[in-house]
Amino acid sequence: MLRSLPLLSLLVLSEPAMAAEIWVTNEKDDTISVIDIASLEVVRTIPTGERPRGITFSKDFSRVYICASDSDTVQVMDPETGKILHDLPSGEDPEQFVLHPNDRHLYIANEDDAVTTVVDTETRSVIAQINVGIEPEGMAVSPDGKIAITTSETTNMAHWIDTETRQLFANTLVDSRPRHAEFTAGGSELWVSSEIGGTITVFDTGTQTEKGKIEFEVQGVHPDRVQPVGFEFTADEKTAFVALGPSNHVAVVNAETLEVEDYILVGRRVWHMAFSPDKSLLFTTNGVSGDVTVIDVAKREAIKSIKVGRFPWGAALRP
Amino acid sequence: MFCALLGPNGAGKSTLFALMTRLFTSPQGRIEIAGHDMARSPRAALKRMGVVFQQPTLDLDLTVQRNLDYFSALHGLSGRTARSRIDEALDRLGMRDKASEIVRNLNGGHRRRLEIARCLCHRPKVLLLDEPTVGLDAATRQAITEHVHDLSRSDGLTVLWATHLTDEIRDGDQLLVLHHGRLLENGQTGELRGGVPLAQHFLSLTGETE
Amino acid sequence: MIPALIALRAIIAREALRFVGQRSRFVAALVRPLLWLIVFAAGFRAALGLSITPPYQTYTTYEVYIVPGLCGMILLFNGMQSSLSLVYDREMGSMRLLLTSPLPRWWLLFCRLLASTAISILQVYAFLAVTALYGIQFSAAGYVALLPALVIAGLMLGALGLALSSTIRQLENFAGVMNFVIFPMFFLSTALYPLWKMAESSELLHDICAVNPFTHAVELIRFALYAQFNGMALLWTTLTGLVLLALAIWGYDPARGMVRRKS
Repeated sequence: MLRSLPLLSLLVLSEPAMAAEIWVTNEKDDTISVIDIASLEVVRTIPTGERPRGITFSKDFSRVYICASDSDTVQVMDPETGKILHDLPSGEDPEQFVLHPNDRHLYIANEDDAVTTVVDTETRSVIAQINVGIEPEGMAVSPDGKIAITTSETTNMAHWIDTETRQLFANTLVDSRPRHAEFTAGGSELWVSSEIGGTITVFDTGTQTEKGKIEFEVQGVHPDRVQPVGFEFTADEKTAFVALGPSNHVAVVNAETLEVEDYILVGRRVWHMAFSPDKSLLFTTNGVSGDVTVIDVAKREAIKSIKVGRFPWGAALRP
Repeated sequence: MFCALLGPNGAGKSTLFALMTRLFTSPQGRIEIAGHDMARSPRAALKRMGVVFQQPTLDLDLTVQRNLDYFSALHGLSGRTARSRIDEALDRLGMRDKASEIVRNLNGGHRRRLEIARCLCHRPKVLLLDEPTVGLDAATRQAITEHVHDLSRSDGLTVLWATHLTDEIRDGDQLLVLHHGRLLENGQTGELRGGVPLAQHFLSLTGETE
Repeated sequence: MIPALIALRAIIAREALRFVGQRSRFVAALVRPLLWLIVFAAGFRAALGLSITPPYQTYTTYEVYIVPGLCGMILLFNGMQSSLSLVYDREMGSMRLLLTSPLPRWWLLFCRLLASTAISILQVYAFLAVTALYGIQFSAAGYVALLPALVIAGLMLGALGLALSSTIRQLENFAGVMNFVIFPMFFLSTALYPLWKMAESSELLHDICAVNPFTHAVELIRFALYAQFNGMALLWTTLTGLVLLALAIWGYDPARGMVRRKS
């Protein structure tokens, strides 16, 4: 307890003058709700294109990219003013995307077209379209930038893309309807969540083989409702938090043993999540109840739910 | 002074006690205890009165000492004063050695004696006892009756002793005969009964009206 | 020390001694709410969470929701049980002993009320200790803030018991009190369901719940457990408590006692 005090004061000191924020896309309202992390309140609401879902910031946080799915575009916004700077060509119905570590290439899953589109954010042009399985959704890029992953909901596969050649070099089966993919920070593991299958499959990145599988069971909730979607790793990589959709719970998974250690009650239909800068708080978007639940990471306890727009979906940190 | 309130069951003795202890009040009549009007200064009157009710009012699961502590505190006594008064009262009833016993383990006679000891703790001027010998065997009844008579003689206490048993009354006692809520006789027992045994005298007063 | 305080201390000490002596009573008082918590909350688990109502900041499970209600239940049952023992005492004598003390009668009744409330509060904390072991914990500030809330709620419910006991002469009638006072008060309150849930089933039910003083006692406890203050609940609980206490003192007025006895 005492040892963490200097660290804490350091954090407070190093905090930029502007308070950190969590940006949440509201699918139904076509808006972004901005939550101030210090006060845990919505401080801004910004209009976007139709059905905003995936959201991510550029490396220097000077721009924010928003998948406006029903506008069939990726919008680029100035986070200071909330003004749309320009749109990016994205292919049809962009749902999720990921920014390459080069801070330049966006990898976008086009749900209706069964392709992954690679967009250059500087030239604002499509530089490649890669055919993948049906209904691609989850997107990830390895920390070294060499591998991109697309998961396809109907084909039930994770497609491994070589970012140099922009060719698929492996396809691995996962359980029914994969929704989200994430590399561990070191890049040695790839995790893929399967919504209908109710599991997370863990792959070894080097061999693209399955290392293990995580199963979930929330007491008192029908297994059909336990649908893993978004997930995030804690700073030490020892723990993963997994959103379990309409079971209204977030699972706390031991990333080493792959065992579920805890379930935390959050709002209805939890989709995605984002951490505060020090990763002490986790913010989950709850689609049906239209709010964001704040989880105390150390205590593994929900501390507050904040009303946002209708059907919040994606979440991103702006430190 | 020992005053016996004699009356058959249902004569109104317990009602009279309830009125005298201010469990109830009556819009008519006047009650005075040791010179204090019960209606006008009830607390001064209650302070000078010790009561033994017909039904036992002891906490059976507590010790003799605890029971007395509780009662003394209700009368505003605490600390050393309470302790010495309690010891004194226990001594007078010969109960000192029972102080740390649980009341439930005492026999009926001892329980009654404890209640009498208890009502002496705050040094009242007047003792009210409502059929205090009910349920006791003959020897105990005799002993307690004797004891209270002694108290009335040695301490200048005024005792009002309600009973329906004539053998608890001595010739020197003042006698009040109560029947159907009415006072039939008031005087010194010896004079009232003349040569007739008290039991017979009592029957002749109350028997015919039944 | 002045006589009034000596008496207060003795009356509380006596209740505490009696309570310690009756371990079965303690266990019974603990088992009742725990049964509710385990059986009832398990049956209606609401694993998907109850909607957010103040003082809750986020979604709660049913088990967490009913804990303040069960604290209220302990106070309610104890208040009534204590009044049962008053009626019993009145027949049996120890109440007589109390009332023949040369202290003001209202003070004696208030002492008695305070004593039974103190015992109830002990039981509430014992219950919360068990629920904490079971996994439902509150903040330290919550446990501290709870104390004044319990005192006020406990006095109000104890005063209700006193007021009832002063008007009920026969012990048989107490079963009626259980049926017509305790159960409706408990079920038609926010102890088991939040107000919005009541409104969902019937507007009338919601209105009855909203005016039920027990609802306000429970909400006072609920907010306190989360170290929050509910002014409305405090106001209602205090007002009801004062009215009931006045009623109880009036009910124990010796002059009125005589009138009742005659009729």
